[in-house]
Amino acid sequence: MMTSLLSGQLLFAAAVLGALYALVGLGMNLVYGTMRLLNVAHGDLLMLGAYAAFWWFTLTALSPLLALPLVAAMGAGIGLLLYALLFRRQLAQGLPPEVIEARSLLLFFGLSVAIQNITAYAFTATPRAYRHLDTVWQVGQTAMTGNRIAALAVAGVILAGVLVFLRRTTFGMEIQALIQHREAARIVGIDVGRVQAVAIALGFASAAVAGALLSMTEQVTPFMGFRFTIAAFVVVILGGLGNIRGGILAGFLLAIIEIYAVTLFSSEARSILIYGAFVAILVLRPQGLLGRARR
Amino acid sequence: MGGMQRQDWVALAATLAGGALLFWGGMAAGAYWQVVALTLAMWIALVQSWSLFSGLTGYISLGHAVAYGLGAYLMATQFRELPVWLLIPAGGILAGAVALIVAVPVLRVRGPYFVILTFGLAELVKFLLLRLETALGASSRLLFGAPGTDVLLAWMVALAVAATLLRHGIGRSRFGRGLVAIREDEVAAETLGVPVTRYKVIAFALSCVIPGMVGAVMALRSTYFEVLQVFSPTISFTIVTMAIIGGSGDARGPVLGALFLVGLSEILRGTAPQLYLIIMGVSLVAFVLFAPSGLLGLLRRKGG
Amino acid sequence: MLRRHLLAALAGTAALAGLAAPALANDPVRIGYTIARTGLFAAAAPSQEQAYTLWAEQVNAAGGLDVAGTMRPVEFVSYDDESDPAKAAQLYERLITSDNVDLLMAPWGTPHHLNVAGVVERYGFPMVGNTAASVLIREVQPGNIWFPTSAIPDRIGPELAAMLAGAGVQRVAILANVLPFSQENLQFLTPALEAAGIEIAMSENYPPDISDMTPLLTQVRDAAPDAVLALTYPADAFLYAGQARELGIDPRLTFMLIGPTIDAFGQAFGPAADGIVTLAHWSPEQAAWPRARPFFDAYVARFGQAPDYLDSALAYMSAEILQQAVATAGLDRDALRAAIAGGTFDTINGEVRFDGVQNAVTPTAFVQRQAGVMQLVWPPAIATAPLAMD
Repeated sequence: MMTSLLSGQLLFAAAVLGALYALVGLGMNLVYGTMRLLNVAHGDLLMLGAYAAFWWFTLTALSPLLALPLVAAMGAGIGLLLYALLFRRQLAQGLPPEVIEARSLLLFFGLSVAIQNITAYAFTATPRAYRHLDTVWQVGQTAMTGNRIAALAVAGVILAGVLVFLRRTTFGMEIQALIQHREAARIVGIDVGRVQAVAIALGFASAAVAGALLSMTEQVTPFMGFRFTIAAFVVVILGGLGNIRGGILAGFLLAIIEIYAVTLFSSEARSILIYGAFVAILVLRPQGLLGRARR
Repeated sequence: MGGMQRQDWVALAATLAGGALLFWGGMAAGAYWQVVALTLAMWIALVQSWSLFSGLTGYISLGHAVAYGLGAYLMATQFRELPVWLLIPAGGILAGAVALIVAVPVLRVRGPYFVILTFGLAELVKFLLLRLETALGASSRLLFGAPGTDVLLAWMVALAVAATLLRHGIGRSRFGRGLVAIREDEVAAETLGVPVTRYKVIAFALSCVIPGMVGAVMALRSTYFEVLQVFSPTISFTIVTMAIIGGSGDARGPVLGALFLVGLSEILRGTAPQLYLIIMGVSLVAFVLFAPSGLLGLLRRKGG
Repeated sequence: MLRRHLLAALAGTAALAGLAAPALANDPVRIGYTIARTGLFAAAAPSQEQAYTLWAEQVNAAGGLDVAGTMRPVEFVSYDDESDPAKAAQLYERLITSDNVDLLMAPWGTPHHLNVAGVVERYGFPMVGNTAASVLIREVQPGNIWFPTSAIPDRIGPELAAMLAGAGVQRVAILANVLPFSQENLQFLTPALEAAGIEIAMSENYPPDISDMTPLLTQVRDAAPDAVLALTYPADAFLYAGQARELGIDPRLTFMLIGPTIDAFGQAFGPAADGIVTLAHWSPEQAAWPRARPFFDAYVARFGQAPDYLDSALAYMSAEILQQAVATAGLDRDALRAAIAGGTFDTINGEVRFDGVQNAVTPTAFVQRQAGVMQLVWPPAIATAPLAMD
């Protein structure tokens, strides 16, 4: 058991899962952190990205990895559209954050239901899938499927890229400022509207890209998103809402529990361990691992 | 601290009249409409109960499906051992007891953290029960010989009436005003002497009792029971949707919300299900943007 | 003079006869059903509904449904049951009492069949079931519902054990989803394997929302079994197949419960899906069933994807059975009931005959993907190819 715990195989599995959880959580954190919007439709953005990748591959026979910029643009476009149509007005009204949170929960829920069913109507609910990059590479004792390596690589690059973006670019620092203290950010002259638009574009783009990556290994259906919305929520709450670094940490933590704790206990306990840990951590630390204490 | 005032008598009369109408109307209109009446009564009972905690305190719970599921689970597993009229209240007591146990630690969490925590709790209970089922070697169960729809309708209307009266009564009481104070400003409320923790815990546990009973009754609707069916997140989300559309200002809101969605469902859902859901989704968006106080708010604006 | 009167009388009688007989020949036959268009089962249900649609189109293109001699077009009255079995029961009641349909066809899934069984029993309205597979169907009151499937867990267990024993398998690893169909199969599989003298090196459960099976599969690899029996549902079937391949788990035989009969599975794994054994009792390769190949080709032509070898086949079979019963008995429910209960039917799956609620002819069978084609490999009586072991 000890040797298997130290195996590269488990490490690879935890890395891939963690990167995906972190990526999914990242998008949600960007949107929440800057605008206090709870995106219950996050998983459905992912689903749209998955369909985009599927249709790209089916129609062009080219690698979905080549389509990633397009998929990201699609996600960003949807985000900007929703921002312009729905959220800009709400946010400009200067409502207290709790009200915005509650309303966004319901707005996004309505959008989620609409998106899922428009997709089901358009493509039928029959599962779709395709084969791509499924060569298995062996490095020592560790076996790695090509599409999983690709998912890890792309997710890793995006995560690193976003962290760099936040720290080194003006927009990035403005986003961080907006997350940390909205009013102060406005006072120092940050164009809040524009920064919010960038944040939502980034957030939705990352969700769509995550979906495209997942489409290489999972079956694509209009209702596949919900699972990832839940996962995203667990990740961001665990890490502290709006805390980008916390979310990434929490994503990997969850993956570690899923892989290593399951190895120690049993696979049957997997969901009990994950949700149990989630509930326990929140109860002990109501603001999440790295969140700021509220009031 | 007055006794019953005029509006209380009106509420009592209206609720009882509504309940009678629902029951006798359903019975008279035939088998299919009995089930529609049953469904309407179910949602009213659930949303009123949810509203007496989440509507008043502002702690939005996505975990009420747990109360529902626990009641259903108890009924499905004990159906052959114990009589139905005992199991229904037992389901409510079980749900209330579990809520009481988790309440203190869980209610320390606030805002969106609380929302997702209740969701995580629901998932945890679901998977614990699934584990229990495999340990018992029974992954699905058959319930033969359950009472007919007419009996279930009677029970459900009674629960809807009880939930509505409870919501109204609490809304008008000192306890209720304390809960609203918690929603407005929890810290200030505590400073002013409101026993915040005790109130929250009581409201939370109380809000789970009737849903537990509702779950027990609904388990009898289906010959076949499996855990995944009754622990669906759709239940929790639908409750919140109805509460928002109806407006949670007082006990009339949930009734309006339930009527709206059940009505829309009857008109559209059977024949154009995806269209129904799309419309439902868009309606929700429209309400949040243009009528955030729900139908109740709209009615108030027109009348007042 | 007499002749003129006679002619007039004849003409009059003919006219009266024309008035008295209603214009039956063009009235459509209305067939009611509900299906899960939304909710938990929405991804699985199209495989059934598409088979229904195909059948109706074919019937209408051929001139209509033969109703005891009269040809009439077929028309569906269908609703979404939201993946809710109780809702399905309510809607079937509506179909019977309010929509007054002439015939009924079945919804998707075991829970739905079990619930609707109560309704058809109460109204004495015969309905041929299809996608229900649980020992619980044996507890259903016979009379108004029939189940053509042979994929019942208490038969699957012993048959699988027999097939494995016959193939010289001595050691197996079992992975099982905690959901009902997997668990029910596990209940019957375990003692059957033990009775056949096959060693169960490991038997582990996993929850339906599992995202990574690496720890589980590492255990399997360490157990070094001859065969892996993965009692999966569709989502985890994809996960298992992909990750087992990654970890190089390649036993002599891999069995997966539900998953490999879905078109998307073949699309996702291509040649890697070859060799996997799964549950189905139909294949277009079986030449002894002349209707099998045409159905497969027609389905592919119509929908651009292969039919589900279990669900689509069953759905189409149930329609064929209904069609043949109506041809002899018309729409009268008592006659129809007798015709279904006592008749012998020629379907895409060969001959079907009922004994009580169950199919007395079709054996519990397994299929295996070989070179991209689904072959029946068990039992030997209907096999289209021998079981291929690594």
